[in-house]
Amino acid sequence: MNRRVSAPGALAVLYGFLIAYAALSLMPFAWMLITSFKEQSALFQLPPSFRPSLLFSDTPFENYSVIWNERNFVTFFRNSAFVSFMAAIGQVFTCALAGYAFARLPLPGKNIIFAIILATAFVPTEVTIIPEFLLMRGFGWLDTFLPLIVPSFLVGAFGTFMLREYFASLPNDYAEAARMDGAREFRIFWRIYLPLAQPALISVFVIAFINNWDELLRPLLYLTSPELYTVPLGLLSFVSQYEAAWGQLMAGSVISTLPLIIIYVLTQRYVLAGFSGGGVKG
Amino acid sequence: MTPAWQRYAPALIFLLPALVGLAVFRLVPILWSFVLSFYDWQIFDQPSFTGLDNYIHILTSPVSGQVLLNTAVFGLIYVPGSIILSLILASVLNNALRSSAFFRSALFVPYITSTVAVTLAWKWIFSTRFGLLNNALAWIGIDAAPAWLADPTYALPAVAIVSIWKDVGFYMILLLAGLQTIDPTYYEAARIDGARVLRRFFRITVPLLSRSLFFVLIIAIVRSTQTFEITYALTEGGPNRSSTTLAYFVYENAFIHFQMGYAAALAYILCFVLGLLTLVNFYFRRRWVHE
Repeated sequence: MNRRVSAPGALAVLYGFLIAYAALSLMPFAWMLITSFKEQSALFQLPPSFRPSLLFSDTPFENYSVIWNERNFVTFFRNSAFVSFMAAIGQVFTCALAGYAFARLPLPGKNIIFAIILATAFVPTEVTIIPEFLLMRGFGWLDTFLPLIVPSFLVGAFGTFMLREYFASLPNDYAEAARMDGAREFRIFWRIYLPLAQPALISVFVIAFINNWDELLRPLLYLTSPELYTVPLGLLSFVSQYEAAWGQLMAGSVISTLPLIIIYVLTQRYVLAGFSGGGVKG
Repeated sequence: MTPAWQRYAPALIFLLPALVGLAVFRLVPILWSFVLSFYDWQIFDQPSFTGLDNYIHILTSPVSGQVLLNTAVFGLIYVPGSIILSLILASVLNNALRSSAFFRSALFVPYITSTVAVTLAWKWIFSTRFGLLNNALAWIGIDAAPAWLADPTYALPAVAIVSIWKDVGFYMILLLAGLQTIDPTYYEAARIDGARVLRRFFRITVPLLSRSLFFVLIIAIVRSTQTFEITYALTEGGPNRSSTTLAYFVYENAFIHFQMGYAAALAYILCFVLGLLTLVNFYFRRRWVHE
């Protein structure tokens, strides 16, 4: 390609910088992983050792089994998976219907509604979270999963935006042909356009899943029973109880990080398209 | 001609869940918060209307003054830091010959992984005596390394470092998408004219990328005012409130002290500052953004 840098010296500098920063970017993950395979006594060696010592013992996964079984991360993991899945599937549902309506169905003033949805997305969470908490308290939803699922289910400006663009880019001929045959609007949407939008639906689902898995503020406000904790909340409550147990804590962090890395690797194409295409056009 | 309700009914039914969400979780809370900001309300007491008292108190009390200052300092580290770094990385990646997919993922992965988990890993790295960072500093001969999270001078920069580390990959992806729309013939022409690398960067890349850069600038400013998870997991706003920024202060007032009215006023000040910065940015947009 024409824009490549050609001088070998410049190339070496560029690569050097890239490699150095990539190493820095991955370093906390590496250190997390190494620490998760250290016994308590190996944590406080000076200078720190890079040897995952437990791997060479009889109980290589000791930290993992303690955190998973005794500290109940199996429950936190299940909770996180359930909440993130429900919230993400709901967001896909709501955003697909809304995106389709905005792109392809007639309604006077729909562009104004769309503009309001986008504009309110820029209002900081801090503004809405206090009344949201009061609402959830009023609904009697405190200490349930509903406050973690319902808002994400019904509100998704980014997903609506993305799916609206996607549905608008699809040709109109299919709908016209189906309407001639007397098909109902929902059938046209469900049988024709929704399957065509699959890549965009996957993007919205995966990004919503990641965001909900990552969420801290809402679980912190709404969940009080430890058996309902999500993984981030479980990690923080572990820190406050077992401050120096870094080996187990890092094992918990690996458990919390790994699903997202796996999902990212499997759906990389959709995630990157979602993150870069959703915001910038040209 | 079919009657109006029959023509518009499908759109309304399709929009129903989104409209309910918009009303219940957006419009109502936005207005409710605004009303609350004029009340003195400890969640278990009766609210009492106090007019502008909350706002006056926020703008005059030394504590909220420090929090506002912290927010500004955080923004001044985070916004330029993450934009400059992501711009350099995106341009390098755009010029790289091979393995750019690997590097792109290596840089992007911090952005999509669990914030609390990676922040706890950083907390362990920042640990004064046994942490990786201070031992690495000692290894290159710096013995007087700070206590980072326990030191009021360094706690806020530490939060900013982790935030930059986490978000740089995201901005890089956005800029990379912009870079890939630049027509390579510009570079070819510049090279024939003998323009050097840096000159090409500032004369071609930056102007042609200005729309993406503007977008990244807006997002970075918004994100800089909303840091919560990293602060919570790394420092809890301490020591001595030295790393408490506005978003964290809202949480603290609303959900630890249950001062709902005061916290709502803080949130509206945050919103106002953000709105003002965005307006200023749009005002200066035509000075440097090329359409």
